[in-house]
Amino acid sequence: MYLVIVGGGKVGAPLASSLINAGHEVFILDHDPDTVVSLQRELGMIATVGEATSVRALQDAGTARAGAIIAVTSSDEDNLAACQLARTNFDISRTIAIAHSPENAELFDLAGVDLGVRATVLVLSNLATALPAHPLIKLMPIADRSQELVAIKLPAAGTAIGRTLSEITLPYGTKIVLMVTSEGQWKTPDADALIEAEDELVALSPANSTAELWEILTELR
Amino acid sequence: MNVIIVGAGNLGSSLARKLSDLGHRITVIEKNPKAVSLLPRGRVDSGAMTIIHRDGSTGPAMIEAGIADADVFIAVTGKDSLNGLAAQRAKTIFRVEQVMTAVRDEGARTLYESLGISTINKATLASDQLVKILTEEA
Repeated sequence: MYLVIVGGGKVGAPLASSLINAGHEVFILDHDPDTVVSLQRELGMIATVGEATSVRALQDAGTARAGAIIAVTSSDEDNLAACQLARTNFDISRTIAIAHSPENAELFDLAGVDLGVRATVLVLSNLATALPAHPLIKLMPIADRSQELVAIKLPAAGTAIGRTLSEITLPYGTKIVLMVTSEGQWKTPDADALIEAEDELVALSPANSTAELWEILTELR
Repeated sequence: MNVIIVGAGNLGSSLARKLSDLGHRITVIEKNPKAVSLLPRGRVDSGAMTIIHRDGSTGPAMIEAGIADADVFIAVTGKDSLNGLAAQRAKTIFRVEQVMTAVRDEGARTLYESLGISTINKATLASDQLVKILTEEA
C-alpha cells in the first residue's frame, strides 16, 4: 500500500523503515531540511521537505493516490490539520494521527480522524508491563535500618506455589513472619505451612537481602 | 457579547481594541507574556479587558477564559493549524455559537469553512483591497 507519513522524526523515521520492511511503499514529508537529508541517506529518495499543513506539499507527496496518511509530527495541531486536509482535498480513505495530549485525542475522534493514537496511553501501558506486577513492598525499617519488614504477593505461576515453607531456601537471616491468603485469612508460618497462589508473605529480612528474597519468591515456573 | 480572542498579535490586538470600544467583554489568551504590548493597557488595568497567559488551544485555558459564557471565539495566532484546532475545540467541545479564525493557506480556509467556522485570509483581504483601489483609480 502507498502510505504518506507526515513527520520524519523520532516516531516517523522508525515507522517508515518498519513499514518499508513490511512491504509498503512509503513517502515522508518533513518541514526540516536536515531531517529530510538524513532520511534520504538512510532510506533512499522517499522523503521531501514540506509543511504538514500545506495542501500543495501533501499533493506533491502523492496523497491523492495514498491508501492512508499517518501524521506523526510532534505537533498535535499539525497532525490534525494534515489528516483533515488530506481527507477534504484528496478524499483519502484512511487517516491516522498521533495525539500527544489526551484532550486532543478526544478532539481527533470528534473531528473524524480514523485512528487517533494516544501517546500517553501507549507510554502508560508500556510502563505497566515493564513494572513488576508483584512488587516488593517495604513496610518498615527495623533495628537501625539493618533489617526490613517487607511484604511480597506471590504470582500464581511461581515456583514457590504448592510447596511448604521448609522447602524454600530463603536468604540468610530472613524469617517469614506472617502469611495471608488472597481471601485475607492468615496462616502461621510454620515449617510445614503450604504456600498457595496469591498468598502474601510478610518477612523480616536483612536490608541487603530483600531483592534476593523477592527473586526467590516471585520466580516463575 | 462575551468574546474570547486567542493570539495578541497585530490582528488579535486590533480586534480586541475595536470590539472593546463597541462595549463587548473581551478576554485575550496569549501564551507569551511579552507579546501583549499592543493591547490597550488602560482597558486591562481597569478590568474591562482580561489577559490570560496560557496556550489558548487547550481546554483548561478556554475554561479559565470563561468559554461556557462566550458568544464568540476568535483564533488569530500566526499558525493556521493551531487556529484550526482551537476553533474546532471551541465549536465541537464547548459549542460556542460563533467561531472565527484567520488562515493563510487557502486549503485550510476551505476546510474550516466546511466545518462551520468563519475564516478570513489577511493576504486575500489586503490584495482585494489594493486591487479595488487601483481599479477605482483607473
